[in-house]
Amino acid sequence: MKLTKTRHFTAFSVPLLQENPISKQMLGICSALAVTVQLKTAIVMGLSLTFVLSFSNLTISLLRHVIPRNIRMIVELSVIASLVIIADEVLRAFFYDISKQLSVFVGLIITNCIVMGRAETYALGNPPGMSFLDGLGNGAGYGSVLISVAFIRELLGSGKLLGYQVIPNLAYEWGYENMGFMLLAPAAFIIIGLLVWLQNTLTSAR
Amino acid sequence: MSSYAKSILFALLTAVLCSLLLTAGAAGLKQRQLENIEVDKKRNVLRAVGLIDNQSQITKQRIQQLYKQRIRSLWVSPEGQIMDAAVAPAKSVPIYLYVKDQQVAAYILPINTKGLWGKIFGYLAIERDGSTVAGFTVYKHSETPGLGGEIEKDWFQKNFEGKKILDRIGNLVSVSIAKGYLPDSFPQDKLPNYVDGISGATLTGKFLTSGLKQVLLEYEPVSIQFRSQQTIQIEEP
Repeated sequence: MKLTKTRHFTAFSVPLLQENPISKQMLGICSALAVTVQLKTAIVMGLSLTFVLSFSNLTISLLRHVIPRNIRMIVELSVIASLVIIADEVLRAFFYDISKQLSVFVGLIITNCIVMGRAETYALGNPPGMSFLDGLGNGAGYGSVLISVAFIRELLGSGKLLGYQVIPNLAYEWGYENMGFMLLAPAAFIIIGLLVWLQNTLTSAR
Repeated sequence: MSSYAKSILFALLTAVLCSLLLTAGAAGLKQRQLENIEVDKKRNVLRAVGLIDNQSQITKQRIQQLYKQRIRSLWVSPEGQIMDAAVAPAKSVPIYLYVKDQQVAAYILPINTKGLWGKIFGYLAIERDGSTVAGFTVYKHSETPGLGGEIEKDWFQKNFEGKKILDRIGNLVSVSIAKGYLPDSFPQDKLPNYVDGISGATLTGKFLTSGLKQVLLEYEPVSIQFRSQQTIQIEEP
């Protein structure tokens, strides 16, 4: 059997593109608008969410037979909240500057619909390994959209990538100007809209 | 066991496990976090006097080194005398001096004032003349990101540079934050005492305006000394 046909691979790959949490399911848009001005914050945010999502899926899947049905949401939320706080503490210890820039948005992963949604719809009904892969896939799907949006916004908005100048000074001397609009939240809306369009065209053509 | 009892037991167990995990994480990382906060404060002291800017990538070691070379951390007595921590009387307040070529080039006042949602912490640097603002930085606040949170941004802080804390006849008026951008019709003689505000964050501006004034009043005795051009003696470390 080919690798791309296995159950485990599809658990990871389907949320990456066909069922992408942002561009297909329209979840987690708010943080995608806020942290995509720079590539660096987008990467860190994508990694944080992937960490939280895969481990919350794993934990909840491991506990899925013992969680009492009537308090399952509360249990899910405490698992997610604990993981988010750990991610925030680690960022503050090792990436202080980035954690300052991300400010409230790491904490707000708790309320990110993707995390709760995957716990409810996937982790409660699937074995731990698959749930973990599903978490990784969704996190990577979210992260990849964030990174694409941030790539466009940082490049066009400030002429930089990862903080390094990439548009040569010569271009500015010839009259090139940064698009200030790209640094504002509406620009992210427009780019995400275009990505959704691209995605729908690609998937329907198949 | 009834399902109620089971639920309660499960909830308790989850809570205990999660809190243990969090305590372990927080305790283990605390040392590093405190160090980061310390370096960030020093970075902001250096930024207030323009020794580094926000853009450049700068290592922790470089910040520590610059701080050690250029900044002297001292205390001010209620009479405006600058002295060492060891001999400072009660009710003294901290001050930082920016030393350049063995002379004080600017003095830096720590800001710790009320904001709209919580305290605002930062630094205000005044040049040796005792009236010109050299720089202003914020390193910690709880204002709304995008609105009041803009006080931590360069564009807002840069506006303070070169402003005066005295009016034309020499009274302390502090620097006030306007409501929104300063209009073109703004009276010329008041321009040195005002900076552009943040639209949508009028209250943050109001709180910060009164906070700055309070800090400047508190440090007025030492500002007077700087204004009278007395040479302030700094012993070599």
